[in-house]
Amino acid sequence: MLTAKQNLQETIKGGKPDRFVNQNEFLEFVFEAPMTSFCTGPGTEIEDEWGILWRWPEGQLGPFPVHDEEHKVIKDITEWKQYVKTPDHYKNPEAWIEAKEHVKQIDQNEKYITIMFFPGIFEMTHSLMGMEDALMALYEEPEAMHELIDWYTDYLLDYAKVLIEQIGPTAIYQHDDWGSQISTFMSPETFKEFFLPSYKKIFSFYKENGVELILHHSDSYAATLVPSMIEMGIDIWQGVMTTNNIPALIKEYGGKISFMGGIHSGEVDFPEWNEAIIKEHVDRICKKCGQLYFIPNLTQGADVSSFPGVYEAVTAEIDRISKEMF
Amino acid sequence: MSKIQEVKELVEGGKSKKVAAAVQKALEAGDKAQDILDAMVASMGVVGEKFSAGEIFVPEMLIAAKAMSKGVEELKPVMAGDSSSSLGTCIMGTVAGDLHDIGKNLVVMMLESAGFDMVDLGVDVPAERFVEAIKENDNVVLVACSGLLTTTMPALKEAVQTIKAAMPEMKVIVGGAPVTQEYADEIGADGYAPDAGSSAAKAKELIGA
Repeated sequence: MLTAKQNLQETIKGGKPDRFVNQNEFLEFVFEAPMTSFCTGPGTEIEDEWGILWRWPEGQLGPFPVHDEEHKVIKDITEWKQYVKTPDHYKNPEAWIEAKEHVKQIDQNEKYITIMFFPGIFEMTHSLMGMEDALMALYEEPEAMHELIDWYTDYLLDYAKVLIEQIGPTAIYQHDDWGSQISTFMSPETFKEFFLPSYKKIFSFYKENGVELILHHSDSYAATLVPSMIEMGIDIWQGVMTTNNIPALIKEYGGKISFMGGIHSGEVDFPEWNEAIIKEHVDRICKKCGQLYFIPNLTQGADVSSFPGVYEAVTAEIDRISKEMF
Repeated sequence: MSKIQEVKELVEGGKSKKVAAAVQKALEAGDKAQDILDAMVASMGVVGEKFSAGEIFVPEMLIAAKAMSKGVEELKPVMAGDSSSSLGTCIMGTVAGDLHDIGKNLVVMMLESAGFDMVDLGVDVPAERFVEAIKENDNVVLVACSGLLTTTMPALKEAVQTIKAAMPEMKVIVGGAPVTQEYADEIGADGYAPDAGSSAAKAKELIGA
């Protein structure tokens, strides 16, 4: 039996995997690495190191940035420099002690040392000023947006240097939602102009410094961005929804990039979930997508679900169908 | 190019910084305010169709709506007191338990551009709040409810049914990623729009405009 890592490599390189890669089994998330502050659960709110206020109301599945006029960090994109501040919390070596301890425990034959990085570049632009302002600024103030994106890219590169020095990750799991369920937020051309160069720079830096695998999370439609994903060096697009026609993507791009997801969290991860629903979704997507360049996984990302037991039930169903199909 | 055509193209292209001056020039050239407004509404119709067809994306739609509102601002002093261009009031909100506002905001812009007076209740709106808002506002002809999460579909149903129980004649339109025409029919909504681009046309159809 192949190790989780070997099986992943066989799957994404078009070799001979001996089972489906089961969700995140090849990754060990080092959540102790210093990230910016985040809400801890429903009913909490926090202002993070960027000055963004996050609120997680009771009964919601996650936190949202608050963007009324008072709480938008950037109130005028042309004056962005006067509003932003750059955190340096990660430069303190003591902030890495727990992460380093965790890394020592990881069996690297089985798993990649992984950091889930949030927010992505696009997410940072709209977290700072709201989605509408951020999207309109791409057209109305493109120079200022390029400057803002360059500023955050420099931060990400500075963070990457410290991250590599401190714990030497072998995989990066970048979070940046680029679309809704049925469309991308912007045209592929706009995406290429504003976001491709920065990601190319960041992911190249990682790959030149010991990172073997780049995963990118966008639980959305983003099929039209796949050529850009390949160009920027993404190995696995995590969060791919079935609105993307995953089998067609595998046929066209398999070997250059792999697709991880296909099991809509919204359709299986809800209070009344049951095993029959999960079985149906897992069966359908695994049979449609086949054994190569595809990793069945909840689209939400990371090794969690919103409702207890769902993630584990999906894992069990993938194990079952692996026995049938391999 | 006629002045009115110029206004139309500026709205379609989202040139918000140039629209006000173009509207002024059109007025000076003798174009009627109502004709200029109609031209801008038609522009937004084109924008909506292009969005639905995937030819343009959210940023293009946002800047077009912004350009339209700049143009409307310029027309307001000329059209003061003239309510003939209004299609009536539309109450809109994202249903209880759901904090997503982008799609809802796009629909607000598109309906406003089409001639509705919009009352935006925001996100996480309880079913009863829609009913209260109908009572609080004049000339309400339509309620639009948005839901983005599979888990908030029951709240969408509750909103529609609460509105219909209180005011059976009130037209209700629904939308959002997991919503389908079948689901809209099932919960008793009068109309469904698959995206913001097509929402204005559907809303106008529902009120017979």
